[in-house]
Amino acid sequence: MKSFSLKLGLFLAVLVASSFRALALDGAVVIANSNVAADSLSADALKDIYTAKTKYWDGGQAIIIAVVPDKTDAALQQASGMEASQFKTFWQRLAFSGRGSEPKKADDAAALVAYVAATKGAIAIVPADAALTGVKKIEIK
Amino acid sequence: MTTKHSTHKLVLAITAAIMAAGGAQAYEVPLTGINTNLPPVDFHGFASQGLLASSQYNYLADNTKTGSLEFFEAGVNASMDPFPRTHITAQGFMFDVGDIGQYKPVLDYASVTYTFNDEIGVRGGRIRRPQGIYNEIIDVDLARTSVLLPQGIYDARWRDFYADLDGGEIFGSLPLSKAGSLSYDGYAGYAHPSTSGGVGNVIKNDLPPGSSVDSLNSPFTLGGQLWWNTPLDGVRVGAAYYHAFNFQQNLTVNLPPPPFGPGPVPSSSSMNVDNTQESLEYLWRNWTFQAEYMRTWLEPGNIDDAWYANVAYRFNKWFEAGTYYTEYYSNVQQRDNSLDYQKDLALSFRFDPKPWWVLKLEGHYIRGTGLLDNNANNPNQNSGAWFMLAVKTTFSF
Repeated sequence: MKSFSLKLGLFLAVLVASSFRALALDGAVVIANSNVAADSLSADALKDIYTAKTKYWDGGQAIIIAVVPDKTDAALQQASGMEASQFKTFWQRLAFSGRGSEPKKADDAAALVAYVAATKGAIAIVPADAALTGVKKIEIK
Repeated sequence: MTTKHSTHKLVLAITAAIMAAGGAQAYEVPLTGINTNLPPVDFHGFASQGLLASSQYNYLADNTKTGSLEFFEAGVNASMDPFPRTHITAQGFMFDVGDIGQYKPVLDYASVTYTFNDEIGVRGGRIRRPQGIYNEIIDVDLARTSVLLPQGIYDARWRDFYADLDGGEIFGSLPLSKAGSLSYDGYAGYAHPSTSGGVGNVIKNDLPPGSSVDSLNSPFTLGGQLWWNTPLDGVRVGAAYYHAFNFQQNLTVNLPPPPFGPGPVPSSSSMNVDNTQESLEYLWRNWTFQAEYMRTWLEPGNIDDAWYANVAYRFNKWFEAGTYYTEYYSNVQQRDNSLDYQKDLALSFRFDPKPWWVLKLEGHYIRGTGLLDNNANNPNQNSGAWFMLAVKTTFSF
C-alpha cells in the first residue's frame, strides 16, 4: 500500500511538472494584426486566448483567431493543450451556445497571413516558413 | 401531419442548398455596404436528421419499433462584436423528437455579453443555461461523439425546461497560480417549459387517459456552475446547482365518470426543484474521458438521480469511436424496479467525411423502462433487455 501511494505520488508529480514546461511551437510562429499592441505573449496568455479565457485585447478589441486546418496542428496542440479535433469541438460548443465565435479558417498559409493582415484583432499560428507580409510577429515567452 | 412533413422537407432543402452554395464555410457578412463601421456579422448553422429504431418499446418517438425519422434538429445563429468588449448573438432553432418540438421555430438564445476582463463579464437576454459538460450544447450533434447523450441527464425531449432561460448571467475565470484556474457562472432567470414539451409530456403521462396539461408557469430559476481547470493539461472538475421556485402546473384530470368519479376536474399543483450535477473531464491526446452524476429533488415528490461514464477515441481526421454506460433512477428509494430505472450501454461510431458533414451510427443495449415517458404507447413493460439503433447525419456551416 505504501509502495502504491509512493508510485501514485510520483506519477502525479511528473504530470504536474510536465504541465509547467516552456512553450515551443513546432515549426510555427504566432502572428497578429498590426493594430494589436502586444509584441509578445507568455505561453499562459497564449493558451488563455486559444481556450477562450481571454477574448479581448487590452483596449477592448475582440480577439479573432484564424487557423489553417492541418498545416499547424502540432503547434495548435502545444498552444491550446487540445488535439485538432478537440480544438474544433471546443469552439463549436462556444459558437453554438452563444458564448463565442469559431476561429476563421483559411485555405493555406498565404491566405491566413492575408486575413490576419486585413482583420483588426486577428491572431494566428502560421508555418514558420510562411511569408509574413503586413502582420506583426508575436514573441512567445 | 402534412404541414409537419412539408416543413421537414423545406428545412432539409434549404440546408442542402446552403451547403452546396457556400462550400459549407461559415458566412461573414460585412456591413460596410450600409454605411456603418460595424464589424462583420458571423453566421453559422447546422441541420441534423436521425433515424431511431428499437427492438421492444417505442422510445423517444411514437413508432421506433418500426423505425422513426422523427429526430431532427436545425439552428442558425448570427454574432458580432459591435463595440469594445461587447458580443451580440442570437440563434433560431427548430427540432423534432417524436411528439416534442414539431419543427416549430423558436428563439433559442439572444443575448448581449459585456466582458470587463478575464475575471468578470455579464450576459443578459435569453441565455443558454451552463450546467455540466453538455447542457449548453445538448442539441448540437456535431460537438460530440454519440448520437444520444446519456438520457437520464441530457434528455433530448426536455430542452424547453433545461436548455435556456430568460435572465442574466455573471461569469469569469479566476487564475489560481500553479493550481490552475477557476471558471464560474452564476445565473438567474425564467425557464419557459411548454405544455407540449418534454416536461408537459411527462406530467401528462402520469395522468388518466383524456386528461390534459393546460398551462405551466415560467419558474424563476437560480443557479451556477464552477469548473476547476486543474494544472494537469486537459483535466477539469465541475459542480453545478440550480433551484427552480414554485414550478406550477395547471391540469384537467379526467377522473372516471359517476358513480366512480366526477369526470374532468381542474387541478393545480406547485413544486420546487433542486438539482446538483458533478462533472469530470479529461482530454488526453486523442482520448476523451468523461463522467457525471446528477441528482434532482422535487419538493414535494421524488428524488431521482443519474450518472454516466464515457470514453471516446479519435483514430484520425474522419473516424472516432466511443462508448458510455449510464444509469437513471426515477426514484432513488426504488432502485430495483425496472419501471423506475433505465440502464444503457452505448457504442458509437462517428465519421467525418468532410469538415462540414458528420455521420454517426450507434447501438444501445438497454435494461429497464424508466425513461419511456409514454405508457399509452408502451402498454406492456418488463425487466427484459432491449435494443436501440440510432443513425444520424449532420451538416454544418
